[in-house]
Amino acid sequence: MWSRYLATVALVALATATGVLLRGHLAPPDLVMLYLLVVCIIATQFGRGPSLLACALSVPAFDYFFVPPFHTFVVADERYLLTFATLFVVGLLVSALTSRVRTQEREATEREKRTAAAELRARTEEMRSSLLSAVSHDLRTPLAAITGAATTLREAHRDISDAQRAELADTICEEAERLERFVVNLLEMTRLQAGALEVKREWVPLEELVGSALTRLEARLEGRPVHAPLPADLPLISVDPVLLEQVFFNLLDNAAKHTPPTTPVEISARVADRQLVIEVSDRGPGLPPGAESRVFEKFYRVAPGGARGAGLGLAICRGIVEAHGGTITARTRPEGGAAFRIALPLTGEAPVVPAELPA
Amino acid sequence: MSAPGPLVLVIEDEPQMRRFLRASLTSHGFQVVEAAAAKEGTALATSHNPEVILLDLGLPDADGMALTRELRGWARMPIIVISARGREADKVEALDAGADDYLTKPFGVNELLARIRVALRHAQQARGATQTVVEIGPLRVDLGRREVTLDGQELHLTPIEYRLLTLLASHAGKVLTHRQILNEVWGPGHADQTHYLRVYMAQLRRKIERDPARPKLLSTEPGVGYRFRDRLEPEKRREEGNR
Repeated sequence: MWSRYLATVALVALATATGVLLRGHLAPPDLVMLYLLVVCIIATQFGRGPSLLACALSVPAFDYFFVPPFHTFVVADERYLLTFATLFVVGLLVSALTSRVRTQEREATEREKRTAAAELRARTEEMRSSLLSAVSHDLRTPLAAITGAATTLREAHRDISDAQRAELADTICEEAERLERFVVNLLEMTRLQAGALEVKREWVPLEELVGSALTRLEARLEGRPVHAPLPADLPLISVDPVLLEQVFFNLLDNAAKHTPPTTPVEISARVADRQLVIEVSDRGPGLPPGAESRVFEKFYRVAPGGARGAGLGLAICRGIVEAHGGTITARTRPEGGAAFRIALPLTGEAPVVPAELPA
Repeated sequence: MSAPGPLVLVIEDEPQMRRFLRASLTSHGFQVVEAAAAKEGTALATSHNPEVILLDLGLPDADGMALTRELRGWARMPIIVISARGREADKVEALDAGADDYLTKPFGVNELLARIRVALRHAQQARGATQTVVEIGPLRVDLGRREVTLDGQELHLTPIEYRLLTLLASHAGKVLTHRQILNEVWGPGHADQTHYLRVYMAQLRRKIERDPARPKLLSTEPGVGYRFRDRLEPEKRREEGNR
């Protein structure tokens, strides 16, 4: 606090010293400008108090050193009284103006900070409520269909045809399955986010994981050409077989959900740069531009309001792949269709399985 | 119904589940006795000598795993665990404790009936009516003559591949855990070397499956084990991500 006043005194002294040194070259009005400059600097840097002090010091300093007779406070020429007054008033004005600007600036920064905090709160709140509404929508929709179909079967079973009854029963089964899938995914997502995911690594052939996912999806992929030309000499990989199988299940399930029912699905794999690169691709509509990375966000859906899926499958994939130290990316292939690429680091030495003599 | 159907003992504490099981089983010709707790279940298992037991793991008065072990200690009838615990470790524990199969809730009636039929068939075989030929799609395994053919062509398998295939085929429709298979094929000292099993399974699939990356005959139960399929058509409920 006091240091600012000391600095003010020092600056006024500095201006005076400069004036004394340059006295031969400067007219008194120039010296007045020098003092005004000092007042301006002090007002902007140190605020109102020091700038008032600078005004109060400038006038007597100017009088004492530069107004004849020198080195006294006596004024021979009355015109200098006007100069003193002008110097003092201009100094006061400058100090008042700059300090007001400073105050406004400070307030603006404060306000900005407050608004940013409020905005962040609002955004978090909005995200939380949209998350909740997504979850509750995805829970309620199948429940509504189940309740509706079941109550119709109970109350009106005599008034409806066999075909309608069968349809209602199908609805109940399908919606219950959808609900189950959603709950399973929600639990999986929670497990991933809580960091409770335990990666139990074992040495596994990729083929077994892909094969298991394809078996689980057999009915859903029926009638669709599936090409999985996996090289026979791929190394064993050290992964959690249950988790990684879930990644392939989710990717293939997505392909089944989002592409026309007779279009092909491909799975390929190769080793490159000490990594196993696996690609799951389809011939569907591909991804909308800009959605390539957003598809891995949770609750993101390519088609908002689309009935299929809750937007969790790919978020789970990313969580699992990253827990293995790998990466997963999506793109639309130039020849059409979406492609998901997983790169897993090949670490450690695969164990040797002793060969056996043929029978 | 001319003769009374097989008797199923349901040990399950949830009344809604018992209601669903009673309705679906009796409508398919089974007879049903029910218990809501472990103690009552054990008593009914002794007094009624059911042909199959459906056992819920989450009972109020006992741990389902312990009950499985206890029942297995003296009873030879198949035990099918029905549980809301869907984690692989739970399945493996129940199967290794002596359960014959494991169904994760929720499940559909078709899947339940399929598992019961498989369990009944194996129980019958264990009583002496050994099935010596297992056939599925293009594959024929003749256990008596030690002959494996694919589309009528004899297959040449290594001793381990043969032991692996015949073990799974003689339990067709039933899941065998990694540990159970390793014990039987490689011996008790190798129970933890699952990578042996995985590599030989891959090898075997390359010989018997049309597309080894899309197996139709030997399916993988992720984190649990393998199952020799006893029907070729897709298992409707299994496609769902039910864990």
